[in-house]
Amino acid sequence: MEPTRIIYWNIPYHNLVYILVIIPIALFIWGFIRIFRLIALGKPDNRLDHLGSRLKDKLLYVLGQWRVFKSPLIGIAHGMVFFGFLVLLVGTMLEALHVLFHLFEIKGWFYLILSFLLDILGFAVLVGIIIAAVRRYILRPKYLDRMWEDGVILSLIALVVITGFIVEALRIAVLKPPFEVWSTVGWTIAPIFEGLGKSSILTLHQIMWWVHMALSFAFIAYIPFSKLRHIFTSPASVFFRSSLPKGELPPTEDLEQAETFGAATVNQLTWKDLLDLEACTRCGRCEDACPAHASEKPLSPKNIIIDLRDNLHRWGAKIAKAGDEGPPDDALIIPTSIEPEELWACTTCRACMEQCPILIEHLPKIVEVRREQVLMQSAFPKELQLTFKNMETNSNPWGLGWAERGKWAEELGVKTLAEDADVDYLFYVGCMGSFDERAKRVACDFVRLCQRAGIKLGILGGEEKCCGDNARRAGNEYLSYMLMLENIETFNAYDVRRIVTICPHGYNTIKNEYPRFGGRYAVFHHSELLADLLLDGKLTPCNNGGKPGRVIYHDSCYLGRYNDIYAEPRKILEAIPGVVLDEALQHHRKSFCCGGGGGRMWLEEEIGKRINEMRMEELMGKDPQTVVTACGFCMTMFEDALKAKDMVGQVAVKDIAELLWEAQGEG
Amino acid sequence: MNIIVCVKQVPDTEAIIQVDSVDNSRILEEGITFILNPYDEYAVEEGLLIRERLGEGKVTAVTVGPSRSESALRDALALGVDTAVHITDEGIESADPFAVATILSKFISSLPHDLILCGRQAVDDDFAQVPAILAELLGLPQAMFVVGLEIDSQDMKCKARREVDGSHEVVEMVLPAVITCSRGLNEPRYPSIRGKMQAKKAEIPRKSLADIGLDVESAGLASPKVKVRSLGLPPSREAGKKLEGEVDDVVKVLVEELKSRKLL
Repeated sequence: MEPTRIIYWNIPYHNLVYILVIIPIALFIWGFIRIFRLIALGKPDNRLDHLGSRLKDKLLYVLGQWRVFKSPLIGIAHGMVFFGFLVLLVGTMLEALHVLFHLFEIKGWFYLILSFLLDILGFAVLVGIIIAAVRRYILRPKYLDRMWEDGVILSLIALVVITGFIVEALRIAVLKPPFEVWSTVGWTIAPIFEGLGKSSILTLHQIMWWVHMALSFAFIAYIPFSKLRHIFTSPASVFFRSSLPKGELPPTEDLEQAETFGAATVNQLTWKDLLDLEACTRCGRCEDACPAHASEKPLSPKNIIIDLRDNLHRWGAKIAKAGDEGPPDDALIIPTSIEPEELWACTTCRACMEQCPILIEHLPKIVEVRREQVLMQSAFPKELQLTFKNMETNSNPWGLGWAERGKWAEELGVKTLAEDADVDYLFYVGCMGSFDERAKRVACDFVRLCQRAGIKLGILGGEEKCCGDNARRAGNEYLSYMLMLENIETFNAYDVRRIVTICPHGYNTIKNEYPRFGGRYAVFHHSELLADLLLDGKLTPCNNGGKPGRVIYHDSCYLGRYNDIYAEPRKILEAIPGVVLDEALQHHRKSFCCGGGGGRMWLEEEIGKRINEMRMEELMGKDPQTVVTACGFCMTMFEDALKAKDMVGQVAVKDIAELLWEAQGEG
Repeated sequence: MNIIVCVKQVPDTEAIIQVDSVDNSRILEEGITFILNPYDEYAVEEGLLIRERLGEGKVTAVTVGPSRSESALRDALALGVDTAVHITDEGIESADPFAVATILSKFISSLPHDLILCGRQAVDDDFAQVPAILAELLGLPQAMFVVGLEIDSQDMKCKARREVDGSHEVVEMVLPAVITCSRGLNEPRYPSIRGKMQAKKAEIPRKSLADIGLDVESAGLASPKVKVRSLGLPPSREAGKKLEGEVDDVVKVLVEELKSRKLL
């Protein structure tokens, strides 16, 4: 007998299936139309550019499960379920094509291979589900919550697979074809049922077959109404991912023309933002990576997404119907879905987005809500008002006289472009390097290194303005726009081509955000330039008696996660004699924020623990002699942490440029 | 309720002030950012708060100054005042407090006014004279350095809590009255983008002395009561000196040092 299986064997009235299936399919379609309508409430956003890389990302992040696997245990479990489902889906489709259209026969070796694959992968799904259940209900990692839909979904999938195997086993128990050894799982459990007697097995088979069908239908119908929808929405979220540079915030409405700014209600987010809400599975990786959450602030990036989604589901239809009166007050994102304390706790460190397996964009949503709060409501933490005014009047957050901006460089003989515009690089010093006593020393050492290497730098002095990063991430798009435009106008007037800066925030915003406003330059962080100078032999560090000893490098968010600069600072450190470079517990893309980004530098940190102190304690755990940064913000935050913890003198906090300058010989 | 807020444009408090070497009665304006006088922000805010509390009213900002002072009015408009008026004429930048008060009183008396709010002083010359003279010229009651204000629009009265040495004094006055606003009265708001955009586009009427029925003579510009002879920067403070060493030696050096400076 040729190996095959009679479809609908022992199932009278099986044609009923074709009528009954209409119910789950109708629910499925209705559910997704509802979701589609909600997503369509969002503002337009072109997410169809760069189709090639979109398809590539889809292969990598969806089929390759690239980020899912980065968390090993659940990565494997999800992989088992994902690939299992994929193969079961293909198998079922093949059978459907066979039954409905008789396109081909499923028999012989083809049947055996298919049976084997389906059994093995069905089993894999079951194992994956068990791992997932153990993790969620027994291991209970703290970033994973437990909602009733989680239990329903895990049970539903497990029961579909188990009943499938039982149906198979019962059939085998009656027919006993020897080739069915390839339907491995069914074959293995078939003997259990053999003692029941043929008629009982046949009845049981029929019952279990219908149960299996009912559960499968329930599964299909449940997809759009539960996080199962991610089967469809998550791949969509990956496909429609942002094509902006990682460091660029999405542009806002035309500041001169638009009537409203930012998002007061969910429909003022983009459709992709709303798709993200439907794509989230509450896996909690973002929350686990969030420094605000780790320091016991009310913010969790996961909850931002979930709360916005609840808002969309609760109010979406009403917002769509609302006429000129506008949406009801309860639909407002602040405070219905997000508390101000949550909104302002974000340091924009990007750890959440770096972790999300399906490339959800948390940060743009947070900033979009901040924009509405700042631009429309003038509602923001009190301390920021002074910061904003200082930036407006004196183009720096402290409000120090702008005319003194270039004073730090006087004794070094650095000229301004107004004095001499023929330079290798414009040195954009930034507010920190210009006004902060500590960061000024970094600026000076960087200039000395360049002078030693024969690189001619020019600065702008009083003509340099604040880069606009802090204002932008604090939601003050108008202020940052003014600052950016002023800088661009000055840069372009001097025909600036190459810019080097010691500030990762200025680096990021000039490199990634200025082009949209007409400022296109080759932008370098000083770690890049210094690493190059070392490579070219223009700088030769020597052991200068100073002993840097055990050194830990702290990856700044805006250098690392935002711009993938991880190697250059380390190369510099490795080139310095006497440096023993070690890594922090959390480093590279998993680096833990200093707490100073996104405008947080200018805000009090009153809730929970202090992020800078947490990071400093973590770094101190490695017992370093020197903590090295490449960012003035991180340096200030760490030195503040040392003062607060009464640990001044226990460790040195230095910039890479300072360490490298100390290692320069006298000649 | 018609509320008039008198504002002034002043150099930013962090600006580096340099005296003009040619005419040392004035400062060099190059490189200086001009801002709305910080105390006037309290006056503007109080006007807006009163309008919001009453649910009606009109807040008018007025300044007397050269053409650059228009930006102070735009700042006030961005914060939410209803209209702004700029009184400007040749030579008006050198008007002394009496002249400014004269011009303001002439202009304000032509408008309906129930309350006149000013900052307690301008942070450039720190005269703190204009509001008091203005009240006198208009024949209105005044309360200076106010940190608490209650308006009774029914009986047209107000109760003002004002700072006096080490204490507070509460005065009750009939409206209209002149009030100068001090830190602590309120927390000035941050302008919304809508306010900023409207302020940017707003037409600010300019009035010359002739427009308000004055000339150089009657405005007090021709014969100022206060004339600035010269300006000078405060002497820069000498760096401190740290004496180190054994106590006995240090004390000797200290005594010598104090004697040589004729402090002992």
